[in-house]
Amino acid sequence: MQASRARLFKEYKEVQREKVADPDIQLVCDDSNIFKWTALIKGPSETPFEGGVFQLAFSVPEQYPLQPPQVRFLTKIFHPNVHFKTGEICLDILKNAWSPAWTLQSVCRAIIALMAHPEPDSPLNCDSGNLLRSGDVRGYQSMAKMYTRLAAMPKKG
Amino acid sequence: MQNQENVDADGKVESVVSIQTSEYDSWGNLGDDDIMLQKSAVFVQEAEKVPFVGDKEPLSSLEAEYKSGSPILLEKIKVLSGQYAAIRRTRGDGNCFFRSFMFSYLEHILESQDSTEVDRIKTNVENCRKTLRSLGYTEFTFEDFFALFLEQLESALQGNETSISHDELVIRSRDQSISDYVVMFFRFVTSGEIQKRSEFFEPFIMGLTNGTVDQFCKSAVEPMGEESDHVHIIALSDALGVPIRVLYLDRSSCDSGGLSVNHHDFVPASEVSSDSTGSEIKIPFITLLYRPGHYDILYPK
Repeated sequence: MQASRARLFKEYKEVQREKVADPDIQLVCDDSNIFKWTALIKGPSETPFEGGVFQLAFSVPEQYPLQPPQVRFLTKIFHPNVHFKTGEICLDILKNAWSPAWTLQSVCRAIIALMAHPEPDSPLNCDSGNLLRSGDVRGYQSMAKMYTRLAAMPKKG
Repeated sequence: MQNQENVDADGKVESVVSIQTSEYDSWGNLGDDDIMLQKSAVFVQEAEKVPFVGDKEPLSSLEAEYKSGSPILLEKIKVLSGQYAAIRRTRGDGNCFFRSFMFSYLEHILESQDSTEVDRIKTNVENCRKTLRSLGYTEFTFEDFFALFLEQLESALQGNETSISHDELVIRSRDQSISDYVVMFFRFVTSGEIQKRSEFFEPFIMGLTNGTVDQFCKSAVEPMGEESDHVHIIALSDALGVPIRVLYLDRSSCDSGGLSVNHHDFVPASEVSSDSTGSEIKIPFITLLYRPGHYDILYPK
């Protein structure tokens, strides 16, 4: 518990320093609980998520950094490796390939990379995975783009 | 239409935060998290059976384990008991090599009070730190693990305020918050060494996986619970400059003559080269018993 708190505090300081360095990620710690974080990440360019801003929720276990944070999308996203209803993310580093070498910040980077490079063979969203697996890239992109517009872009007046 | 609830990205923040806990609970229905939960449940069950590091047992306990087993193994255990007095088991959680190494090394320091060795390994530890830095690792991701190992090392030497007894060493090795941190320290050291000498390790790694050296370190060295192979042992032994003897207890046999138990000494690259100048290679003070998939600690007579 003490170790995880100390580590998260170091990450907090690092995040303040990196804010300028990585304009695609805005990682914010809950005011009252250092084990709860949220992040805003920009959809990577040349993907159907371009132009969207996606919110992630982090729940950090007491065993951190020996155990991974739980992360999920709060913003609806149409992506093979993200559960459409719960926002759960299927990413190896959040499961068995986790190591303390990762940070909340680098997890955000990994999620951005996952957005750009979906793994349709391990889908949490089968509809999305099936479109890609059947080769219907256009269908996948238009669905993904539609949800980006509906859920991840500011509403136009 | 499910879109409606999602249209307003700004408005939904608060509502989601408030239902967060209940939503995490419902994840239990989902495959991956289910598996994760189950996995940790299995570890808890396992923990009740075998501590991270067990008690020292006479070698006869190994014999008892194979009572009705393969005659080759029984014969080999007989050979082993000629040279070795005892075994200390470690938990089979994928960290057994690192855990065995940890206990064996610290126990050696505690018993030998070899401060020259402590100074020597500290120099190597600092070099490992530099290696990770130069590989681009963020300092705060590994410094806690380094600090915890150095703390254990210091307290194994008697005569200072933090000195510990042998019993305390056993207790600490079973305390997850210490034991796992030291294991993780070794994982960082091993990963750093492999990446630093990636040209040397690449052919070995190609034989194990299809991935690159970097991928191997990220997926098979750094994550807790990933089992160790020869590559890990060579890298750790080289990085810390500590020789390791491994005895292989398996069913292999030569058709003629008496059975022998194969062993292999992992001698740090630095010592092999100094050997050519005439100095003799020391017998490793760390002896591990390997049975396919698992490492335990052996005690010579």
